[in-house]
Amino acid sequence: MKKIAKILRIIHCGEDLLLVCALLAVLSLAITQIVMRNFFDTGFLWSESFVRILLLWIAMIGALVATRENNHIRIDALSRFLPEAVERFVAMFIGLASSLICFIVAYYGLEFVSYEFQDNTIAFANVPTWMCQVILPVGFCLMGLRFLFQAIRSLTG
Amino acid sequence: MITLSLVVCVLFLALLGAPLFIVILAAAMIGFYSADIPLTVITVEVYRLVDTPLLLALPLFTFAGYVLAESNLSTKLVRLAQVLLGWLPGGLAVVAFVSCAFFTAFTGASGVTIVAVGAFLFPALVRAGYPEKFSLGLVTTSGSLGLLLAPSLPLILYGVIVQQMDLPKPFSMRDLFIAGLLPAFLMIFMLSIYSVWTNRSFGISSPKFSKAEVRSALMDMRWELPLPFLVLGGIYSGLFTVSEVAAVAALYILVVETTILREVKLRELSKITLEAMVMVGGILLILGVSLAFTNYLIDAQIPQYLFTYTQSFITNKYTFLILLNLMLLALGAILDIFSALVIMVPLIVPLALGFGVDPVHLGIIFLANMQIGYFTPPIGMNLFIASYRFKKPITELYSATLPFMFVLLSALILITYIPKLSLIFLDR
Repeated sequence: MKKIAKILRIIHCGEDLLLVCALLAVLSLAITQIVMRNFFDTGFLWSESFVRILLLWIAMIGALVATRENNHIRIDALSRFLPEAVERFVAMFIGLASSLICFIVAYYGLEFVSYEFQDNTIAFANVPTWMCQVILPVGFCLMGLRFLFQAIRSLTG
Repeated sequence: MITLSLVVCVLFLALLGAPLFIVILAAAMIGFYSADIPLTVITVEVYRLVDTPLLLALPLFTFAGYVLAESNLSTKLVRLAQVLLGWLPGGLAVVAFVSCAFFTAFTGASGVTIVAVGAFLFPALVRAGYPEKFSLGLVTTSGSLGLLLAPSLPLILYGVIVQQMDLPKPFSMRDLFIAGLLPAFLMIFMLSIYSVWTNRSFGISSPKFSKAEVRSALMDMRWELPLPFLVLGGIYSGLFTVSEVAAVAALYILVVETTILREVKLRELSKITLEAMVMVGGILLILGVSLAFTNYLIDAQIPQYLFTYTQSFITNKYTFLILLNLMLLALGAILDIFSALVIMVPLIVPLALGFGVDPVHLGIIFLANMQIGYFTPPIGMNLFIASYRFKKPITELYSATLPFMFVLLSALILITYIPKLSLIFLDR
């Protein structure tokens, strides 16, 4: 049990670190491009593609952390009027449904990535496209797991 | 039949409070599944995030805003506005509107304005002799003022969403920023007139104008002062792209706040960055899955169908605009601004184009409605934030904000029916 908690903590720290580094990378690449373009009249061809991929990773990892902290944007019109016992049941139902949907997306996402893997296309520099896309199935799969755990936790209290 | 029951399930999920991206994903899945399109298309569409132009500005401005919100900018901004405008009759109210509008434009309308700026404007207003109820209403209303001014996040998001739709009538982000100027000033102006007029009999003390005070307040803000010129000047002059301005502003704020002024500790910085990126990640993912959903809608020709259907009972542009306003006001009261943008914009924009509404004008109308939605009873977000922050019952806030809401509703009518207000500086 202690070991699991420790592993979880390492994963959480890893996500946080990746997210902060991704932003710093985006910021420094954007600034470098501006300086290169205006003062040296040149630029890195791969920079723009890399920044766009980083944005995708920020989207997925940010959403992953939001799932962890139960901090997603939601409409939430009814739940504040529900009694507590019903609310727990509703939370479990939403957790299960969310995890099912994430798993389905992850499954088809894996198919998408495997096509790209076979085609062996290049996204930028020497980085193959599938490596940029792999965050989609991985991210959705991890989110699905988190929603599942949340559903179990809301049932057991 | 199965499809219908699934749709009901999705609606149910949404109302019970499932994450928005899950709801949109579920809807897209049902759509693609019933149209016999393999679900792989969903990830293909989410991956299209990578091709969306201008997206870079979103994380950079959000980061800059989060850092600014942690600094002492709010205190200094109010002080400067106070010594510059405080001597006018009703000056303090004007100070409140102006400083809140600028603060909101830079930090995004996430309720942080009420907490950071409102928290010491409210006691200052009461001390100067304004009635408590009036002050409470003013501060709550100001929490979403400035949504139409660059570089507010919802404005950028509207541009991003519409630009990836490939409209017959394209526009640039700069057009959108210019269009928001006059409507935003109109709102501030009308609110100021109302405030001066209702408080004319209270004998409110105004301090004298003092050059020395102005100088010291300016000195206090010498590092933050270049910021509006950098951002607004950079964007409005067209010298830089929006993403470039965002990058420079983010770097400037980072350097100034952490190393020169040291108002934000390096230790806190990673926490702030993380919070900002979690928020950006959530919004980007919703944007990504809504790309998939929009694709389904277009594939199934829903916008055309919607247009023919509405045309059967709406015949002219003005009736359309009235109904649009009513619907958006209702939506703004229920949905938060980002959800409303990603769900409604892809549906409304083709419809509005069909009725001859300019997409830039539509964006301004959309956000003006959402701005009012922030404090529309019963569940406008800023009402709860103000109630919590100032420890007042929510019902008191309902009645306190009501007169301000009427002022802004009249501004909304002007903005909606005089397209020139938004488009005058643009060649459209």
